[in-house]
Amino acid sequence: MRKHHIHPVRVILLILFFVSAIMPLYWILLTSFKGPKEIYTFPLQYVPRTFTLESYRKLFSFTSFGRYFINSLVLAFSASLGAMVVSVAAGFSLSRYNRKREKHGILLALYFTQTIPTFILMVPLFTFFSKIGLVDRLWSLGTVYIATVVAFSTIMSKSFFDRIPVSLEEAAKIDGCSLGQSLIRVILPVTLPGMAALFSFAFINIWNELFLAVMLLLSNENMTVPVALNSFISKAGISWDVMSAGIVMALLPTMVVFGVGQKYIVAGLTEGGVKG
Amino acid sequence: MKQRIRTSVLIICVLLAAIPLFAGGSQEKSEKTTLTYMETMTSPGRTATIQGIIDAYEALNPEIEINLISPPYEQADNKLTLMLNSNQDLDIIEVRDHTLKQFVNNGKLEDLTDYIASWDEGDDLLPLTVTAAKTVDDTPYLIPQFFFVKALFVRTDILAQYGFTEMPTTMEEMYEMAIAVTEKAPNQYGFGFRGKGSAFKVSDPMILSDVATIDLENVYRTTDGTFSMSTPEAKAALDAYVDLYNRAVPADGVNWGFNEQVNAFISGTTPFLIQDPDTVALVNEQLGEENYTVIPLPVGKSGKSFLDYGFAGLSIPSYSKNKDAAWDFISFIANAENNADFCRTYGPLPIHASTYANDDYFSSGVYKSWEQEMSDPDTYKFVKYPLDSPKYPGWAQVQEQYMQSLLLGDITSEEAIAAWESYWE
Amino acid sequence: MEDKTYRWFLVPALILLVLCIYVPVLRGLVMAFQNYNMFDLTNIHFIGLENFSAVIRDVHISFGQILANTLVWVTASLLFQFVLGFILALAMKEPFRGRGIYSGFVFYAWALSGFAIGLTWAWLFNGQFGLINDLLVRIGLLESPIGFLSSKSLAMIAVLIPNIWYGVPFFGIMLLAALQSVPAELYEAATIDGAGRVRQLFSVTIPYVRPTIISTVLLRTMWIINFPDIIYAMTSGGPVNRTNILATQMINKIFKEYDYGQGAAIGVIIMVLLFVYAIFYLRVTGRQEEEF
Repeated sequence: MRKHHIHPVRVILLILFFVSAIMPLYWILLTSFKGPKEIYTFPLQYVPRTFTLESYRKLFSFTSFGRYFINSLVLAFSASLGAMVVSVAAGFSLSRYNRKREKHGILLALYFTQTIPTFILMVPLFTFFSKIGLVDRLWSLGTVYIATVVAFSTIMSKSFFDRIPVSLEEAAKIDGCSLGQSLIRVILPVTLPGMAALFSFAFINIWNELFLAVMLLLSNENMTVPVALNSFISKAGISWDVMSAGIVMALLPTMVVFGVGQKYIVAGLTEGGVKG
Repeated sequence: MKQRIRTSVLIICVLLAAIPLFAGGSQEKSEKTTLTYMETMTSPGRTATIQGIIDAYEALNPEIEINLISPPYEQADNKLTLMLNSNQDLDIIEVRDHTLKQFVNNGKLEDLTDYIASWDEGDDLLPLTVTAAKTVDDTPYLIPQFFFVKALFVRTDILAQYGFTEMPTTMEEMYEMAIAVTEKAPNQYGFGFRGKGSAFKVSDPMILSDVATIDLENVYRTTDGTFSMSTPEAKAALDAYVDLYNRAVPADGVNWGFNEQVNAFISGTTPFLIQDPDTVALVNEQLGEENYTVIPLPVGKSGKSFLDYGFAGLSIPSYSKNKDAAWDFISFIANAENNADFCRTYGPLPIHASTYANDDYFSSGVYKSWEQEMSDPDTYKFVKYPLDSPKYPGWAQVQEQYMQSLLLGDITSEEAIAAWESYWE
Repeated sequence: MEDKTYRWFLVPALILLVLCIYVPVLRGLVMAFQNYNMFDLTNIHFIGLENFSAVIRDVHISFGQILANTLVWVTASLLFQFVLGFILALAMKEPFRGRGIYSGFVFYAWALSGFAIGLTWAWLFNGQFGLINDLLVRIGLLESPIGFLSSKSLAMIAVLIPNIWYGVPFFGIMLLAALQSVPAELYEAATIDGAGRVRQLFSVTIPYVRPTIISTVLLRTMWIINFPDIIYAMTSGGPVNRTNILATQMINKIFKEYDYGQGAAIGVIIMVLLFVYAIFYLRVTGRQEEEF
């Protein structure tokens, strides 16, 4: 590959995007390292006068943030995995579907789910889940999460499979592979980066979900990170010390997903992307 | 092979459908009675205090186990509403002044009359506690756990910089001081305004304290039945309030909720703040006790100060299967000793007369101001919002919209008052 | 024949959608036609379109204003999210050292929860102790701080900025991927034809990534209209209703007034608007024929 000379306009653009993206994060990070009495001092301090990890200590000792973090991690990880499996199957099926009208209808039904405000689902979902005794279980919330992301993921995964010629499967079949074998041995490896993208998108959405978690979980030990962060807002005010530390902690997993995974995500999307 | 795939898909579906059954079966059965307790005015510190009291209770009563549910403050009332209406397992619930009526309407709360009658500490409750308990239908559907009463937080350090050492006793004096300190220094303003988020709870008592004829049962009515804001005194007071905003509050005040209000006080932007006692802990932590004081709410031109008492208390859902056990715990957490401890860390005012008599804490320091408000019924009148009106839940948004219009100069005070009056018609 | 087997793969997804989305949403739709108010649940019955007329004809909270706000909110958010996301994608298209870490920092906004974004930006925009005012004053662009969130003309801009900030990463990633799928030969051919950078963009790049643009824009519209979190945390719809959109008014009805019937009615209005929009949009973009 020849060496790139980055055009100065590009450099300026990249810097501008970086600065505006980073500014709020810098403020939160700064706040999280300040002592409680420094948070609201005037004039504003752009560098902390004293650097302290007190907010983080308080976050983990005063609240069970570690526990919530693990809850969220397990929940988001397994639900995203589940969503990936379900939507890869559905996307493959849709892509190879040859009845135009049915296919059209199913796609429409998938898009339709995206128009629904969460709040309209909240009461019926809660009533339904409480009737069958399924509230306050992380896995049942996880199932709802899979349902909330599966439409978008299926639309995405269908477009990945649209890019893979049917001839690939046929070639595998000639080599004596069964349908299942050809799917696993031939087709899936080609779509792996795409699946990484599916997984990451689902993970981010689930990791941040607040209202369904507030409604469907009850006990304090089942709390997730967004719920915990929201609980730092009380009648008397916002505890910005633990709040800022919590936001920073909550960002870590998703930053890792983007930082480490962006190569695969972008590569995966390049294979397909949302094309409908 | 087709068969195989079909079978495996079917198996997956069956498994998906069967998970509930497995999970349902995993609940452990034990000899213990488990009580579910849901709090609603949540904050992390408060939850820790309640958990401490629960631990103490469980140590005394090994056969009882208490599950505490603590949803985030902003969603808690809604969640409780949903849970009650689908008869979720709940035995002890924290009900707030503004949710009490709807829960009673829906038949979800147990009448506690007999329990209170048999309680040895029942006689020690403040008269206010008993009144609050009987807010709806003159029946005690809850035991109040604490009271929020507004008082004036003052940054003595900042006022001293500008030569003020006397504290204001009337609203007029406070307005004058607030206006006088404004713009004495960059970013120096006078009053910790409340512009959004139930802003009427700050503005309306300030304004209506100029009206002598307020009906104590409904702050929006005078004793002769007219809308209290329509009185000439209220109109003049509203104009003075707008003037205060224009001369002692940054423009941004229109958008200040509780958080900005408190921040402005802590950062020193505004030396006056009208707030509830649960703000004390936060202010102590972020500002320090030495820099401020709390004084009783200044009186209006009526010579009186109208205070609403916000409260929340514990109730037993009417469908609870463990009512007696639930009451036993309520009588424990609400006894004079535990209630005092609870209020000390959380901030608001306790419910027992003996607490004020025996415990210096609630009659000294910043709490002296609240003690004064509670013990001078001629000056400090407790009033009620029309909590049992079906229009009350929508009031905050309507009041806020016209008040913001007025503050930003779009409409006149007459127009705002007329619009408010039309809402209550 | 193969096709029939494939169809079974759809079943798990459809079961989940029906159980967790379609059945509850039907119940929710029914609520829109009932007097479902938590203030008194002992007498729930059908009231026809009363919830809709109560919301639309509200004499105090102007529905017209809310609709207009919603339109501004969706259009401006979408436009700027898309354009800035496209520019970011173009700038990041060619590899450079540290692109992985760089993308971690420019894309992280997507990974924040809405209320955290709202609270943070409400603080940044604050007239007294907000970073933005402070910086603008320090640079000398402003003489004294502005109350962004209390100004009727500026508040909408102030809530739009964080929403745009939040949405740029989505388009950035989607379009970055789409751009990389454009075959290099197309650019070479265009260069031989003497097309400059700008012409290449419009004659090669955009037509090639058009399908991605069409479906991401449609999805994003739906997400933006249903995203009240930022506004709710920053202004709760104020000042004087200037930032109140359908989604925030729905929260007001449900969370503040406990009127689930009217809240659901607003939800139905949102869904109908989106449905009409989607049909119109797909017709205009001509994607309908090729199963969008």
